[in-house]
Amino acid sequence: MRAARTAYPLKWRIMDTLEGVAAAIWPARFRRATPYLMLLPAVLLVGLLVLGLIQIADASLRTLDTTTFQFSDNYSIANFRRALTEPLFLVVAQRSLIAALIVTTVTLVFAFPYAYLMVRTRSPGLRKFLLIALFLPFFIGQVVRAYGWLIILGNQGMVNEALGLVGVAPMRLIYNYPAVLFGLVQYMLPFAVLMLAPALTAIPEELEAAAGSLGASWVRTFIHVVLPLARPGFIGAGVVVLTLSLTDFAVPAILGGGSQDFIANAIYDQFFRTSDQGLGATLALMLVALGSILVGLVFALFGAGTLAMGRSRA
Amino acid sequence: MQEPFRAVASREAEGGREIAVTVRNVGMDFDGVHAVKNASFDLPKGRFLTILGPSGSGKTTLLRMIAGFQTPSSGEIFINGEAVSAVPPHKRSIGMVFQRLALFPHMTAAENVAFPLKMRRRDARTIPDRVERYLALVRLGGYGGRRIHELSGGQQQRVAIARALVFEPDLLLLDEPLAALDRKLREEMQLEFRRIQRELGVTTINVTHDQREALVVSDDIVVMDQGEIQQKARPIHTYRQPRNAFVANFIGVTNFIAGTVRAVSEMGDVSIFRGDLMLAGKLGDPANPPAEGDKASGAIRAEQIRLAGDAAQLLTLDCVLAGTVTDTIFEGERMVYEVACAAIGDEVIRVFDHDPAAHTQFDIGESVFLGWNARDMLVFR
Ligand SMILES: Nc1ncnc2c1ncn2[C@@H]1O[C@H](COP(=O)(O)OP(=O)(O)O)[C@@H](O)[C@H]1O
Ligand SMILES: [Mg+2]
Repeated sequence: MRAARTAYPLKWRIMDTLEGVAAAIWPARFRRATPYLMLLPAVLLVGLLVLGLIQIADASLRTLDTTTFQFSDNYSIANFRRALTEPLFLVVAQRSLIAALIVTTVTLVFAFPYAYLMVRTRSPGLRKFLLIALFLPFFIGQVVRAYGWLIILGNQGMVNEALGLVGVAPMRLIYNYPAVLFGLVQYMLPFAVLMLAPALTAIPEELEAAAGSLGASWVRTFIHVVLPLARPGFIGAGVVVLTLSLTDFAVPAILGGGSQDFIANAIYDQFFRTSDQGLGATLALMLVALGSILVGLVFALFGAGTLAMGRSRA
Repeated sequence: MQEPFRAVASREAEGGREIAVTVRNVGMDFDGVHAVKNASFDLPKGRFLTILGPSGSGKTTLLRMIAGFQTPSSGEIFINGEAVSAVPPHKRSIGMVFQRLALFPHMTAAENVAFPLKMRRRDARTIPDRVERYLALVRLGGYGGRRIHELSGGQQQRVAIARALVFEPDLLLLDEPLAALDRKLREEMQLEFRRIQRELGVTTINVTHDQREALVVSDDIVVMDQGEIQQKARPIHTYRQPRNAFVANFIGVTNFIAGTVRAVSEMGDVSIFRGDLMLAGKLGDPANPPAEGDKASGAIRAEQIRLAGDAAQLLTLDCVLAGTVTDTIFEGERMVYEVACAAIGDEVIRVFDHDPAAHTQFDIGESVFLGWNARDMLVFR
């Protein structure tokens, strides 16, 4: 018996011991509950989030007395009325929403060829280069990157200096809406490529060859085969980019220079400048609602994309 | 190499048919790997050609060059007499069934079959009719509305065939589409391929590593090994008159007995010595005979050998060897005996016994005699 034991590799014996310990703590008859046990951490986290939301909902219903800086004890919907009627907030909401839509569209258009080339190239060197170029921005935080754009695009920045060399007068390239959009697209591109790449990998290359042999030019192959099959990737990437840009804070703050506030910046102002936590909470709730409605709309219109479980739907 | 291609391409082939495909001195290199070397053959219209060879022999590469997915490193391919190296796949009139079928998963069976018609801008009003007709041809009438994943493996095969044929291509290419099926279904589909090909008369090139499939479905077989064409012949000739040892070994079960050439006659008779044993046979490749004293081997098929417990029963045969049964393998329709023969250094000879009454005739360890006719032994260099 002892001889047989030593014949097992050490790894197996460690695994056996671990399994023995696991069986002692969590006997086999509890096994049906195991999946629920594994859900527990996620449920706890989501639960905390819900608690926070309840707190925010509570705050959103109390108004700030500007003379005493005290919050009212009784509930009212005054904050919501202000948020929906004051032009400033409507402008900010509209600006964020339009930016999110533009950024999503532009990012998907740019991300697709990148992801396609990365997945389909026969050269391992090129694939590696594209991958590294994709991950590099992740190592540089969003704030540093936005600040980098300030340096490059600023009045004394590289771009304006280069323009000066060819006799073009310095232009204002930052602190405006296009600069924010540009910064957001640049920030979102890696996310979109990362979400598109697996969807493209899942499309067998043979399908494209088949479409060719059946008479489809590459444009028609792209429209009739690649695009429909990559849809889960487009939906996933689209939802991520849409929600991330809608709720972004750093890029509008830095590249917009205070003139291009998004909803998140307005919330920040309420919490930390005017200290009106009630109104800040209201704006935060409305942002959550807006995001949820948008995502729900995307899922309703295009299906749940990569989130669709089980069999592929068309 | 620069022979007048037109003359070759328009030459009337056996049976007076036009040539559909000409492969002329075609080679393909993948940075240093010669996947296909100097391949040449003609395929007359309406015939079913199978490219047979082991995995990695360059079959797919050759097929992909004909389809236009790859450009030959050397040589030229002609379809209906036209050089096609500058023609992209979607401009060639070729239907292809891929190894993994490559059906479009986001479309129904009917949409898959309609795809080539739409891409070729055929009259939209005629498409549904035609799709239904081709689904019926592959015995899938009424299945058009099914999604691909709702069909069985065999049904998916049929959709792929219908899709490749529906636009009436000049040429049908099949890249081992049956390799993944279980044996029963595979054999059924082989006959199905043959039926459909005969019904439509479409020129077909099939690629396989399955010798049985090649023998069953083809008009002609091209045997490939290591990128080189070994032989092109009718199935029965490929089997009965293999041109070299590779073909003899790859198709069927063949025993090889190595020896030294003693004499070669004008008639193609040849004798080889193995020690004191003299073996008489025919030249495998009369155009390229070995000289006296060369090393050569005699090839004899397992089914062409008689087995008997008594040498007297084999008196009519030209060559008789004594041996001991080392193994018996029951394969259902036949019994395989492995016999070690002392005269050839106890090398094992495999013998088929198709006589059901004789099945349990010999046991392991039993002494037996085996014999064959000189005309059945082919001698290769
Ligand atoms: N795209 C390619 N790049 C490099 N080598 C290849 C490529 N395609 C095929 N080969 C090589 O060419 C040889 C023949 O391959 P293939 O035509 O696929 O053989 P078969 O279809 O007979 O199995 C193999 O050695 C294979 O590794
Ligand atoms: Mg192959």
